[in-house]
Amino acid sequence: MSALKLETIDIIDPDLYVSRGYPHQEWALLRREAPVYWYERPNVDPFWAVTGHAQIVEVSRQPALFKSLQRLFMTINEEGAPDPNEGILRQLLNMNPPEHGAYRGVVNRRFTPRGVQVLRQQIEAITTEVLDGLVGREECDFVLEVSAKLPLAVIAEMFGIPRADWDTMFRLSNMMIGPSDPEYGGSNTVKETLELARMEFFQYFNTLVEDRRKNPRDDLASALANGKVNGEPLPIFELMSYFALLIIAGNETTRNATTGGLFAFINHPDQWRRLKADPSLVPHAVEEIVRWTSPVIQFNREAVADTELNGQKIRAGDLLCLFYPSANRDETVFERPDEFDIGRNPNPHIAFGIGEHFCLGANLARLELQVMFRQLAERLEAIELNGPIQRMRSSFVGGIKHMPVRYRIKPRA
Amino acid sequence: MRIVVDHNLCEGNGRCVEAAPGIFELRDDDRSYVLEERPPASLRGKVELAARLCPRQAIRVLDE
Ligand code: HEM
Ligand code: SF4
Repeated sequence: MSALKLETIDIIDPDLYVSRGYPHQEWALLRREAPVYWYERPNVDPFWAVTGHAQIVEVSRQPALFKSLQRLFMTINEEGAPDPNEGILRQLLNMNPPEHGAYRGVVNRRFTPRGVQVLRQQIEAITTEVLDGLVGREECDFVLEVSAKLPLAVIAEMFGIPRADWDTMFRLSNMMIGPSDPEYGGSNTVKETLELARMEFFQYFNTLVEDRRKNPRDDLASALANGKVNGEPLPIFELMSYFALLIIAGNETTRNATTGGLFAFINHPDQWRRLKADPSLVPHAVEEIVRWTSPVIQFNREAVADTELNGQKIRAGDLLCLFYPSANRDETVFERPDEFDIGRNPNPHIAFGIGEHFCLGANLARLELQVMFRQLAERLEAIELNGPIQRMRSSFVGGIKHMPVRYRIKPRA
Repeated sequence: MRIVVDHNLCEGNGRCVEAAPGIFELRDDDRSYVLEERPPASLRGKVELAARLCPRQAIRVLDE
């Protein structure tokens, strides 16, 4: 720990996220010595690394001064990567007020706490079905067989996408979010992978839109297909991008909260026993899981004008990169930040961001995770690792791709 | 002190109602309404907590 130096730490190289996981020691050093730090390294475009909770909130709540842009996150400059300033979609995360609010308003009522409550029974049923799939065996890859299934099934149901097509959505979503991981991208370059996935997504959604314009239903696809922004239907590129965003955003993130949550319980058996003994802790446990795993590593902003942040002079045009998992271990905000405590309350984590771009799916993700961990606590009688976990190659969304486990599960009650 | 909720931002997450019941109220349109626009200074702590916790940062506490 003492060997770490500001000038030489690396918080961007995606290969390090595979071998080491999240750089919590590096982030702790940054928070302590420079919560707003000019990060300049060979092979990375320079940016301000913002790692303190207060500073991330300060940036996030001023979208007019720190705008969102096409380039969503920072990574190393790799051969075959697309021009980061182009971006493969144009969606909420790239937009700014007032356009952003107009677009968000097209579907946001379906994602409020009340909006998602109507999904509870479906979520319970899908979760039960997923766990039933484990009965009669003792080993599985928890990611592929459990974590990955629920979020995809739920968003696909919301859209009204038939079951036969869920696998396609899963594959394309992986390609979009982990294009630099060989397991998802194959031998293609990042740019080729992204473009292939985008093309297939757009073809699929286009057919869906045509159908819902002719036969509108009460589903998310119809809401988008027939939605209006400032009185006009959405332009085709923005419409297609909106579909892709909603499929992608909720998938990898909730999947990794689920996997990372169970991984945390395996490493903290006392907390697992605590949850099993007192299921009323589930809502707090889920907040702690989301804080602890912080599946989204970073999002960018760009300074619109010269300004100051934590005493640093920021110039118009500078890139800032907000590291959410770091904020969620900020020792000035959380007591015992490096302790996994499922009773933590209050828990002002910002794993879902804050302000203008606050995660649209936060209430949905919470509901999914609550149902999942309540059922797991009820049915899992034993759980342990059955081999090493494998992490995704990405400095954007932290992912566990595979988690072999050995378990004992109760049949359906 | 005067409280304003920006209804272009508010999405009915209800954290304000938890932090400061009696000052905010969630209505059927999934938005938070200020019941007491100018609450007594003794409630300032609760109001500021609500503003801080609001996920969309929709609450402004003005000194007027
Ligand atoms: C544990 C799971 C999840 C985590 C950790 C997460 C995290 C985030 C973060 C950090 C942001 C950016 C916030 C900011 O810039 O302030 C975001 C935005 C977003 N998330 Fe999530 N998310 C999760 C699940 C979901 C789900 C289930 C959906 C469902 C559709 C979703 C949809 C979105 C959308 C559409 C945005 C863009 C919002 C905007 O720009 O206005 N997310 N999410
Ligand atoms: S916490 Fe914020 S977003 Fe939620 S209801 Fe209150 S004002 Fe609205």
